[in-house]
Amino acid sequence: MLEERGLPTTVLALILPQVEKTRPPRALMLPFMLGRPLGEPNDASFQRRVLLQALRLLERADGPVLLEHFPEDNPSWFDRPDWVPAVSLQIPGTPHAAAAWEAAFRIELAAVLPVWARFKARFGRTTVGLAGQPPEAWAAFATSFLNGALPTVPLHDTAALALRFLADDLKALYGEAVQADGAPPSARQIDQWFWGRTVAGQLLIALRGVALESENNALKTVGGRYFVPVPYLPS
Amino acid sequence: MARLEDIPEPTRTAVANIPCPSFDTAPFVHGPPLSQRRVAIVSSAALIHRGDRPFPFGSGEYRAVPGVWNNNDILVSHVSINFDRAGFQRDINVIWPIDRLRELAAEGVIGSVASTHYTVMGSTDPAAMVESADGIAAALLADRCDAVVLAPV
Repeated sequence: MLEERGLPTTVLALILPQVEKTRPPRALMLPFMLGRPLGEPNDASFQRRVLLQALRLLERADGPVLLEHFPEDNPSWFDRPDWVPAVSLQIPGTPHAAAAWEAAFRIELAAVLPVWARFKARFGRTTVGLAGQPPEAWAAFATSFLNGALPTVPLHDTAALALRFLADDLKALYGEAVQADGAPPSARQIDQWFWGRTVAGQLLIALRGVALESENNALKTVGGRYFVPVPYLPS
Repeated sequence: MARLEDIPEPTRTAVANIPCPSFDTAPFVHGPPLSQRRVAIVSSAALIHRGDRPFPFGSGEYRAVPGVWNNNDILVSHVSINFDRAGFQRDINVIWPIDRLRELAAEGVIGSVASTHYTVMGSTDPAAMVESADGIAAALLADRCDAVVLAPV
């Protein structure tokens, strides 16, 4: 749509069927996972090779539809067999009452927060910040939904959105903490750790159950689709 | 090779079969050598500044990402939970290659970097983004841009 308006474009493409259907003027097909179009975090030379190959398409005159394939895989795709999580946690049980969930989550979060601080110091950044409330407020807020409450925060219009973005922040904080030290694990290793080894992951699965039973349609939709990825849904 | 085949079902089929527009025209705009181009990024990651409201679900709007924003203040508000976040948690350049563009400009490989970049919610039906395309194109042309990197998430 931008090319039609006079702007030369080049696409970093991750999904081949979409490129084949839309036939953009220039696309570089990348063999990376969704979420990493430049391939490799903290690897400037790798990212530069991706970006330059995409930009060089702009100098070709043999359009109108150019498609190239990037020749390299990104190394961090593969699991790291010697990886040890930066946070050591007990395998969570599954509390039944909201108060028990809140207590278990508070204890775990208190153990994770100092490790998260190490991540922020090491990488100079954090992606936590969508919830509209600080981590210290999360336990009481999230577990109140287990009792049928529908609280919200000023940043978000509805309880469903407030909980949805709290879930995003929760996953981000844990995901960052577990990458705080040493060489990075694969994305899959982080997901398996979060959904299998943390109270926070189990709490999100419990909240999904509550959301699906809710009479609040927005919460039902958000909980069903945006809390737990399909591979980690309870069987 | 990753990666479409590594996306779990039913998301994989949904992604592969997502309705895509087909276009009657095949525009192809020529331009000067890369070393003279002014380059912008347009991202479908629904980027926001820390503290701003996330993109609403299904929104066809676009938002500006000024070049002066600190990388640590740029957050992803895209609705999907089916893409990796661990990569950009460590390094925003894996979805938003702003530092790489600045290096290429400093070396003279590209001419310059746009003063402002743009972002949309990639899960929205493109049919709802026609006005946004108008707005983004007008803004980029006014900034004398003649190259756009379209970055997904």
